[in-house]
Amino acid sequence: MAIDTTSGPDAIASVLSGVIAASNVDETEVIFSRSEAALTRYTRNEIHENVIEGDASLSIRAVVGKRVGVASTSRLDDRAIADTLARAASIARLSPEDPMFPGLPEGGPEPRTLAGAYDAATASASPDDRAAAVGRIAATMQHHQLHAAGFVASRCDAIAIANSKGTRRYFESTDASVNIKAIGDDSSGYAEGFARSLEQLDFDALAAIAAKKVLDGRDPEPLGPGAYTVILEPPAFREFLGYLSWAGFGAQSLDDGSSFLAGRIGDHVMGKNVTIRDDFAHPLSPGIPIDFEGMARTSVPIIEAGVAKGVVYDSYYAHKLGHANTGHALPAPNSIGPLPLNIIVEPGSYSTAELVRSVEHGVLVSRTWYIRLVDQKKMLITGMTRDGVFLIEHGVITRGLKNMRFNESIIEALGRCELASELVRSENMVLPAVRIDGFHFTSATTF
Amino acid sequence: MRFEAEAKRALDTATARGADYADVRFGAVHDEHVEVRNGVVSGFADSESFGFSVRVLRGGAWGFASSADISDAEIDRVAAKAVEVADASAKVKGRGISLAPAGKFVDTYRTPFEIDPATVPLEDRVRYLLDVEKEVRAAKGVTVGKASIDVWRNDKTFASTEGSLIEQTILQCGSAVHALAVGNGDAQDRTFPGTCGLYQTGGYEIVRKAKLLENARRIGEEAVALLTADQCPTGDMDVVLSSDQVSLQIHESIGHALELDRVMGWEANFSGTSFATLDKLGTFRYGNDLVNVVCDMTCPLALATHGYDDEGTPARSVDLIRHGVLVGYMAGRDTAHVANVPVGGVVRSEYWGRLPMIRIGNVNLEPGNVPEEQLIGDVRSGIYMESNRSWSIDDKRLNFQFGCEIGYEIKDGKKTRMLKNPTYAGMTPAFWGACDAIGDAKSWVAWGTPNCGKGEPMQTARSSQGSSPARFRGIQVGVGYGD
Repeated sequence: MAIDTTSGPDAIASVLSGVIAASNVDETEVIFSRSEAALTRYTRNEIHENVIEGDASLSIRAVVGKRVGVASTSRLDDRAIADTLARAASIARLSPEDPMFPGLPEGGPEPRTLAGAYDAATASASPDDRAAAVGRIAATMQHHQLHAAGFVASRCDAIAIANSKGTRRYFESTDASVNIKAIGDDSSGYAEGFARSLEQLDFDALAAIAAKKVLDGRDPEPLGPGAYTVILEPPAFREFLGYLSWAGFGAQSLDDGSSFLAGRIGDHVMGKNVTIRDDFAHPLSPGIPIDFEGMARTSVPIIEAGVAKGVVYDSYYAHKLGHANTGHALPAPNSIGPLPLNIIVEPGSYSTAELVRSVEHGVLVSRTWYIRLVDQKKMLITGMTRDGVFLIEHGVITRGLKNMRFNESIIEALGRCELASELVRSENMVLPAVRIDGFHFTSATTF
Repeated sequence: MRFEAEAKRALDTATARGADYADVRFGAVHDEHVEVRNGVVSGFADSESFGFSVRVLRGGAWGFASSADISDAEIDRVAAKAVEVADASAKVKGRGISLAPAGKFVDTYRTPFEIDPATVPLEDRVRYLLDVEKEVRAAKGVTVGKASIDVWRNDKTFASTEGSLIEQTILQCGSAVHALAVGNGDAQDRTFPGTCGLYQTGGYEIVRKAKLLENARRIGEEAVALLTADQCPTGDMDVVLSSDQVSLQIHESIGHALELDRVMGWEANFSGTSFATLDKLGTFRYGNDLVNVVCDMTCPLALATHGYDDEGTPARSVDLIRHGVLVGYMAGRDTAHVANVPVGGVVRSEYWGRLPMIRIGNVNLEPGNVPEEQLIGDVRSGIYMESNRSWSIDDKRLNFQFGCEIGYEIKDGKKTRMLKNPTYAGMTPAFWGACDAIGDAKSWVAWGTPNCGKGEPMQTARSSQGSSPARFRGIQVGVGYGD
């Protein structure tokens, strides 16, 4: 029953089947995950942290009637796996019944295959490969007499899921990312890149973008509090969407009423130009085709032309609320319910450059920082601008601004917005830049 | 000692591959989590994790690698990989890393405790949480009740090429109760104890003293009452903050600002830097004269307390702010020389497989001499705020805006009507400069923060901020509402 962490999918599936066969509870789910995550971090144009983190774990969910227990281990020998199975079963027997627990899910559609999710060169990328990329970023900065901080990262992940109802899933993927904060005397600029393979990242182009922001933003001036038209570039917009999806796009918050969508499915909740879905299969998305119960992820329309269409479900909330399971379970034990992990915002009709030209007097925000939810029902958030804030006058970016604090309702903001036409990936989302009218800045900081 | 042979093997391999310095950490982490939500057990998990990591310094550059497979072959591979990573780091290097002396320690440390959590059956914990949560929903109008208990045990062995061999068992426990009320077009939360529960080092006595059951119904009733409470007014006024909210204020505006790696720019692209630059050390007025802050890694009960940090430095207490003046930083071996400050035993990693870095330790605001009730008694018109709800601060730790779960108007020295959505904002030095009273030792609590994020890949650390309630004059309140 031991797992060799270098095993392929068939050998892993065989071990997971053995765990299920050895189980003496009503239902059993086994998840094996392994990862090797490498990240080369730099500051002042020098590498200061450099890691390769290897990890592997086995998690077992045991079901006794309507009682559930979960135990996990990173020890993958026979004895440890047997012990983990016993612990999960013991916890399940101790747990009170959950009348709503529907049992482990079964069947459902076959997951889609994802072309290009795994890149062998990225899986085997060396520390020298990442250091070379950092060297190129540093060279760009030195050319402009700037310095930069950020990282170059590559990783390889595998997950295998099996349950006693016949589910057998395996998925392996790679991912790569670069993060560049260019720094000058009194200004900074930001650029980022994400792809399934290291080769797809254009380090030189991204470094040039970050450096240009520093140069354009020199001698920043303060801007007084007030309502302005803003252009949020994708890294800034992504943080807004993150809060929206965490607090509002899952079945649990819909069920308990705390979601802003509670009681509003079918209503116009945003502008007619806003369409948001969760779709792991978008070509730019880093999604995986299965959820953490082994069910096939589906594409879920959440907002369509401003109308609330629905939220995402796992097997528990699908059963509880009488809805189809959309395949959005998180790993057990999960007390926050299902969540969308691959938000896609449909693009608009105008390029980002055209949106900037449409602003008479406003602000361009490259990146945001430390956003927190102030009011869940209103989806009111506060946060700071960061690493590139610019004044737009008569459709032209004219100068750098000092950073500002904002307080804004995401829902209301998306009722007075225009989306750009270019989609990019930012972390796990795919989205465009956005123009928002009447965006509320409430205070400034000193830099 | 446990893992002594494996540690020696890793160090020997790293040295043979050319490491100038190496340290290794072997760990066994055991976490038990029980959570109840609306009468059912929503989370019941027992997780264990074993593994090791190797950190090497070669040619003035760091390398790090880790694995969950503690086999001889993997130890050899990972140690060699760490050296390979260090060689790659050296290709884009400046002046290079130098280490402050650490000393050689062969020692063991165990968290002191009264009640071994292993002696408290899981079924007892479940039954208790069901009772607590039931009591929350006994308050009419509560939508969601939640209660949880965590028991965390970390057995770890540290060894270095400088001869240190340290074995530690760190035991941490925590519990919380939470109420969510939805209605009147609003959603309101209450949490107890404090902002995220009571989390400290020690045994099951930490859970017992949290008094969840005794406070559960009140928490539920307050969540419901908040739905129809008046909105916190907007303006500048005197504010009294509960000790747990002061703890959050310390964490965000002092703790993070005084991590020396941030000051040096090592977190510039993510967590940020700090306004508290090196030129300010020893002269900068951080706050009022009565503001005294230490980082004390030996503080009894505090969540970050240990014997040694993850680079083998003994725990100690370091002054950060004395009589309102910036006098120190939290430093590690590779940063301390920059500011000529002592290493404080604050370099920690999330678990065996992650790179150690400077983390907020036990950053304590020393108690004042004002009885808790007098803090409010001396306010003619103001607001009392309790338990954090939202927190945001810029990437140099200056401009902040915090929100609390519940507030009360203060009129003529007395708490009056309940206020919902209380928020306040300010700039760090001005805010601490406006602190004119700190509660006495009776009201001081070592509040643990179990979820502090920093670093890339991001790590979660457990910090503590000991604090009493405190009073601040002329603070901007009601921010974010009605602007």
